[in-house]
Amino acid sequence: MILNIKDQFDEEKGRWLIELEGEADVYTVNNFKERMHQLLDEKMADVEIDGTSLQYIDSIGLGALIGLRGRMADQEKVLIIKNIQPNVRKLLNITGLDKIFIIEQED
Amino acid sequence: MKGNNTIYKEENNVEVRDIISLNLPNAPEYVSIARLTLSGIASRMGFNIEDIEDLKVAVAEACTNAIKHGCGKDRNYSIEFLVLKDKLRIEIIDGGKGFDYKKVKEPDLTKPREGGLGLYIIKTLMDEVQIFNNQKNCGTRIIMSKNLGES
Ligand SMILES: Nc1ncnc2c1ncn2[C@@H]1O[C@H](COP(=O)(O)OP(=O)(O)OP(=O)(O)O)[C@@H](O)[C@H]1O
Ligand SMILES: [Mg+2]
Repeated sequence: MILNIKDQFDEEKGRWLIELEGEADVYTVNNFKERMHQLLDEKMADVEIDGTSLQYIDSIGLGALIGLRGRMADQEKVLIIKNIQPNVRKLLNITGLDKIFIIEQED
Repeated sequence: MKGNNTIYKEENNVEVRDIISLNLPNAPEYVSIARLTLSGIASRMGFNIEDIEDLKVAVAEACTNAIKHGCGKDRNYSIEFLVLKDKLRIEIIDGGKGFDYKKVKEPDLTKPREGGLGLYIIKTLMDEVQIFNNQKNCGTRIIMSKNLGES
């Protein structure tokens, strides 16, 4: 399965806009982590992940988000996750991560 | 294998309608095959979409554990789907190093860490979960079920 990652730096908001499309699982997670850390190396800033097209996430994908947030929190940056699908939302809820990440729903 | 008795006893009272078996290489790129197979079986049985999502996640977590912690390289692990009258039971069996389930701590949800979420997610999403690993280095068998038409 595939995870496409689109990134763009929003100068106005001063944050990375990341669109995820596909599945963040054991197979795709390493690529995701690498990419996100590269972006943060390039510019340490807030990150906004758009989950409109993120169909699936597993514990390892959640772990990657936790790791990312950890690195950003050290620099006082925040991780915002928006427009996630109900199945992804459910996993954030049961793991309590909905209280740790900033979640924005746009509807 | 003493610890397994309970399961077989229970099985005598349970009508197993069909068994579907998968044997997968110890590699992450094949976990999606387990998920797809599961979706096919669960939708045939009449599970609703939310339950199918839950099942998919739980099965994938168990497969990921078999790969990540269980098997050695170049080995396979297996998945059995047991279609019962009113529930789906799934067994994931690896021949890896095994682990002591009682020693695994529940994750502290107020202090998120990378790792340690998989079994917790499985337990939350499934109706029953049992883990068997009677002898050291003899692998793990995780058995989980979800009932049809609840929730
Ligand atoms: N099939 C298995 N074989 C051997 N050990 C296992 C197996 N499944 C789980 N474990 C042990 O139980 C622990 C907890 O598993 P769990 O899935 O909850 O977390 P994790 O796999 O470490 O991280 P995550 O699932 O969040 O990516 C693992 O770290 C491992 O030590
Ligand atoms: Mg795991």
